[in-house]
Amino acid sequence: MLLMWIYRAIALLILVLTVRELWKEEKMQMKICACFVVIPLLLRVLMIK
Amino acid sequence: MKEKTSGRLSFLRNKLFQNLFCALLILTVAVLTGYEFYTFRHYREEIRVPEGTEIQHLSDYLPSLKGTAGDTEIYVFRGEEKGGSLLVMGGTHADELAGHLSAVIMAENLKVTRGTVFVMPRANNSGFTNNFPQEASPMYVEIPTAGGVRTLVYGSRATNPVDQWPDPDLYTHFPSGQGLSGSETRNLNRSYPGRENGSFTERVAFAIKNLILENGIDLTIDLHEASPEYPNINSSVLHERAMKLSGDASLELNDIGISMRMEVSPATLHGLTHRELGDYTNTLAVLMETANPCQGRIRGATNAALAVSGKDACYEQAAKLGYLYVPYDENGVPIEERCGRHLQAVQVYAEALGWVFGEEYTIDMSGLPGYDELVKGSVGDWLR
Repeated sequence: MLLMWIYRAIALLILVLTVRELWKEEKMQMKICACFVVIPLLLRVLMIK
Repeated sequence: MKEKTSGRLSFLRNKLFQNLFCALLILTVAVLTGYEFYTFRHYREEIRVPEGTEIQHLSDYLPSLKGTAGDTEIYVFRGEEKGGSLLVMGGTHADELAGHLSAVIMAENLKVTRGTVFVMPRANNSGFTNNFPQEASPMYVEIPTAGGVRTLVYGSRATNPVDQWPDPDLYTHFPSGQGLSGSETRNLNRSYPGRENGSFTERVAFAIKNLILENGIDLTIDLHEASPEYPNINSSVLHERAMKLSGDASLELNDIGISMRMEVSPATLHGLTHRELGDYTNTLAVLMETANPCQGRIRGATNAALAVSGKDACYEQAAKLGYLYVPYDENGVPIEERCGRHLQAVQVYAEALGWVFGEEYTIDMSGLPGYDELVKGSVGDWLR
């Protein structure tokens, strides 16, 4: 269970960094690409799948 | 003209607008998919066992599973007379519908007068809470019955990653040290004999091993399916101690028109029921396979109809070209035929236990359909 929370925290960290990059990114197509990384990460942090 | 359009749509170049648009897109897709994942994970299919049926839980054999998705129901049917004991597992792989459904039909119809039968229709319960990624599998299948439509889950071959995550690059089986691909770490049928403090899937395997040890189960049958191009179908894979039993049972099945090949479990292939349960307990471990085109690599449209009817034009063509290991024509391999094979085989194996090992191992059971009854009717006739 502790490990699960550690993995969840790692996923949250990657999520925050990816969203930060998405926010700073200039090109719209790159932003959309980032969305497809952020969605599964968000679900992972929420432990939905 | 171009400048005018650009001017009207200039807000599209606004960075804040772009970021908010992305945030909205993320939230919309996450909510929609998340809702679907969440409802699938928490869906509970009904297994309508007769009133008064003894129900145990896998967590009775390993308390750390209590309250987790690894806990599952075990239906126990005890005869008035003492005899042999049998464990039937369905749903080791939750995408192998005939294995799961055969165990459900057993749980809902079985009557035992001699010996004891344990039925576990959702051996890897967590596998029933998710789909295998990139397979486009259906999430549910519907079976019409006299009392209305019954909805069954079409799950995944593996434990839900919510329960065990992340996968290693290489899965090292305990205790053999055999190396397998990382995703096999969530495959119950690569996790036996399991570990009390191991991964989630190893703990489920450990609890099943304890169930067999504590109840002195004489015969364990694990019901599976595989793609029609897989050589090892319409067959039983058995631990070497189950050779005599399987030989007699296969001959009997052959006599009633069901061809059942026999394969002895390779001694160096670890983690499977037919190897480890035979090695680590005194049970006679047997695994049975039927053909399911819904799992195959050359299938066409993948949906609930294919899972039930087993009809697929690509497989029909493959059979004409001689690429399959099972008879396959325009009628496909319907669920009635697949469950019929499993249920007939379970009955013959249970009967053979008495022939081979003597009176004290006899199991007398009734109430289950045979192959002919299922093929001539519908699986829905045998669901409550």
